[in-house]
Amino acid sequence: MTTASTTLHGLASAKDLFALTKPRVMSLVIFTALCGLLAAPGTIHPVLGFTAILAISLGAGASAALNQWYESDIDAVMKRTSQRPLPAGRMDRETALHFGIGLSVFSVVLMGVAINWFSAAFLAFSIFFYAVVYTIWLKRSTPQNIVIGGAAGAFPPAIGWAAVTGDVTLMPVLLFAIIFFWTPPHFWALALFVNSDYSKAGVPMMPVVAGRRSTRKQIFAYSLVLAVVAVAPFALGLTGLVYGISSIILSLVFSGLSLKVAMSETFEPEDMEAEKRLFKFSIFYLFALFATVVVDRLVMA
Amino acid sequence: MSEIDTSQPPMSPEEQKAFQARQKQRAVIMAGLLIFLCVLFYLITIVKIGAST
Repeated sequence: MTTASTTLHGLASAKDLFALTKPRVMSLVIFTALCGLLAAPGTIHPVLGFTAILAISLGAGASAALNQWYESDIDAVMKRTSQRPLPAGRMDRETALHFGIGLSVFSVVLMGVAINWFSAAFLAFSIFFYAVVYTIWLKRSTPQNIVIGGAAGAFPPAIGWAAVTGDVTLMPVLLFAIIFFWTPPHFWALALFVNSDYSKAGVPMMPVVAGRRSTRKQIFAYSLVLAVVAVAPFALGLTGLVYGISSIILSLVFSGLSLKVAMSETFEPEDMEAEKRLFKFSIFYLFALFATVVVDRLVMA
Repeated sequence: MSEIDTSQPPMSPEEQKAFQARQKQRAVIMAGLLIFLCVLFYLITIVKIGAST
């Protein structure tokens, strides 16, 4: 037996339920999953390809809903997130939880029934990893939280690949590693110029715990590892020249911008031009790199 | 089975109107999603049958 909602607050609008899935983050998930799917050897029927991307997107939306269900207290004190449906009081937490769990189950079953159960298990694990390991367990307890969160965001291209081949080989592992090592410099650059918000929420974000100087050095260190991982598919003969040349140029620019961040000593968020430039370029970098993986495969084919 | 939550004060006519508009909007979207899923599952079935024969 349930109690019927008799207030506007108890009946979330469709717009707010959609906002709960973090549509902007989902666009990156859709893009990287699609690239993984298109770069995989073999073919998949367009209807099944569409279904696989839909299931991965719904899984990402479910993770985002569960994340916001758990983090409504943090979201309420941060300016950037205070207008989300839960902290703004437009939806109750139970609705978000039910929506998140329902969407998770549906996405995994859809993937299993329509595509294969290996990629369905992979998708289920990625939702569990983001919602439980990252959100509930590690985000509030370690300054390396974003590194762990990066792993959760790095699954989509590997799942897209597994939807076509039914397995995981070295190339999808490298695609995973690219997003994994890209996340810390991308996110810490943002955290540097919105530092005050994270301190207010009590989230142990790297600039809050280790200080700006250490964070800047770590950004540069991660950018060097990222460069090695990004060029690896070409160096190991898994991709052609198109990807090889693009990844070298893009990674040189990324490392150069990270070096500028490492050398910067600014404490005022308004003056953090190097950090803002790196943050903007990092988004372009990931889109360009993954697009090149697909273009390279089409050229090689 | 549902029962009315009596712990909440009754809604004003304006609130009731907004509540019903929201219910209608959600119902329309849900109908659209169900039709979309019917078409999608139909297509998936056709593709799977085609692949196995």
